[in-house]
Amino acid sequence: MRNIMAIAGKELRSYFASPIAYIIIGFFALPFGVFFYLYLDAFLRQSMQMAQYGGNMNVNQQVIRLVLQNASVIILFVMPMITMRTYAEEKRSGTVELLLTSPVTDLQIIIGKFLGALGLYIAMLLVTLLYVAILFVYGNPEWRPLVAAYLGLLLMGGAFLSIGLFISSTTDNQIVAGIISFVVFLLLWIIGWFAESAGPTIGPLTSYLSITEHFEDFAKGIVDTKHVLYYASLITFGLFLTAKSVDSERWRG
Amino acid sequence: MIEVQHLTKRYGRVTAVDDVSFRVERGEILGFLGPNGAGKTTTMRILTGYMPASEGRATVAGFDVFEHPLEAKRRTGYLPETPPLYPDMTVREYLDFVARIKGVSSNERRTRVEAVMRRTRVSDMASRHCGKLSKGYRQRVGLAQAILHNPEVLILDEPTAGLDPKQIIETRDLIRGLAGDHTIVLSTHILPEVSQTCQRVVIINKGRVVAVDTPENLTARLQGAETLYVHVDAPGADVTSALAALPGVTRVQPAEMRASGAYEVESERGRDVRRDLARDIVTRGWGLLELRPMRMSLEDVFLQVTTEEPAAAAPESAATPEEAPRA
Ligand SMILES: Nc1ncnc2c1ncn2[C@@H]1O[C@H](COP(=O)(O)OP(=O)(O)OP(=O)(O)O)[C@@H](O)[C@H]1O
Ligand SMILES: [Mg+2]
Repeated sequence: MRNIMAIAGKELRSYFASPIAYIIIGFFALPFGVFFYLYLDAFLRQSMQMAQYGGNMNVNQQVIRLVLQNASVIILFVMPMITMRTYAEEKRSGTVELLLTSPVTDLQIIIGKFLGALGLYIAMLLVTLLYVAILFVYGNPEWRPLVAAYLGLLLMGGAFLSIGLFISSTTDNQIVAGIISFVVFLLLWIIGWFAESAGPTIGPLTSYLSITEHFEDFAKGIVDTKHVLYYASLITFGLFLTAKSVDSERWRG
Repeated sequence: MIEVQHLTKRYGRVTAVDDVSFRVERGEILGFLGPNGAGKTTTMRILTGYMPASEGRATVAGFDVFEHPLEAKRRTGYLPETPPLYPDMTVREYLDFVARIKGVSSNERRTRVEAVMRRTRVSDMASRHCGKLSKGYRQRVGLAQAILHNPEVLILDEPTAGLDPKQIIETRDLIRGLAGDHTIVLSTHILPEVSQTCQRVVIINKGRVVAVDTPENLTARLQGAETLYVHVDAPGADVTSALAALPGVTRVQPAEMRASGAYEVESERGRDVRRDLARDIVTRGWGLLELRPMRMSLEDVFLQVTTEEPAAAAPESAATPEEAPRA
């Protein structure tokens, strides 16, 4: 555990020691803010009209849900930037020799790196909470669906990170790692689009595989164990593949 | 303390290390000498558990590096060929991180880091980012990192590479000061480095061990007695005593690790016994398959490895056979 935390801390510190962390956070928070502004603006106009006719509006469903669904797409673009250097850079610079000759296991290194990346991702999410806080100041949204939605974001992000970590472990070129990760993440997203056209047998399968499909319910405020399980197994699978890749790299030399 | 048995490492079709065996006793400094591509780094990477061997085994401080990697790693400090530094971290942050993953307890960490920085003379760079250090300082921080958890065994891959002459002397002093409590293996291309720092030398070339001896003995072997390699086809005959009876021959012994029928024949210094030897073998009706001076191969290696000494005058003069062993 101590080793894991040491490595996670080192990862997190190296993100924030370079401009990378700030660029990544900015890359996420800015579009997030734009979506937030647009949806909130539309919502306020509508609710003003509705108020005249005595209707009822829901901030959770009409602002938060829509913003977070869009955020899940931004995440797709940002995640490769977080994971691309994790292993690739260590291999290129030779620091991997330090890690692999220290009394730590491969798994401790992998989990440490994963948690480090997750830490940066959590920092990203925390920044977006500032926007959400505005809603609490000027209105009274329900907090339960909000927690569910952020839990969903966390799980979905974790799944991206663990796959990105694996891809980074297969090369010593961080640009290559970034591009491949991006393509893979994109595929995992758009595979859901084919669900409707794919027919009754393949359709459910493709939508099951789509990483963003499973977020829909979370965005609505529903925590379904089915989706939690999906993300948890994807995370485990990604970490498992990373362990395999690190081990086979060692044998090849 | 370190035991290497029949170690072989293949990268695909390239055999980088070929059946290497040696031992290092506790407190000893062993020099690992060989030209570029000899397999020094590969051997060290196996010893430190960075990669497994294709064949053979290695134990460090009593632990098999493959079967009990964590125990072995806990007792090993390693300076890789390129110091493994994180450019974004300051020297102090970096050493603190290394102390954590090497298992230095949290109450000792600070004092260890400071002590090691003083010992390797990097204290004045403590707050500098590792990425902004000069090559010499990188090397020293790399060394600091290796000795941080006070390991029993130190594996140093070219610890003086990239240092200026003054730093080379300081580093050699530091390494000599570490011997005794530590068992050290260091690699180098530089012959004088070995004679100044090491008690014993393994010369490796093209993945094979060419010689294992003290620096003094190696030098003596080069300058002293002539050794011939003789391969005869004489099934059943007592070749050893027949050859030993020849005038000028001082010692005959079967060549190690060679085909049967191969012998090493030592003769008095300055006396060429090749003609007598050949005539004798032929008149006995044996087949003379091979006859060549052995010192040449050893010398060749020495020549290759001595051309890199920066302190030596011109590379040409360092490369002459007379100078090479003495340099
Ligand atoms: N990762 C690798 N993949 C394939 N071949 C390799 C690899 N690493 C080393 N080799 C080969 O193995 C041989 C031994 O290399 P090694 O690095 O151990 O030599 P060395 O003695 O350390 O040389 P130098 O003095 O240049 O550092 C060389 O022929 C090298 O090309
Ligand atoms: Mg080397």
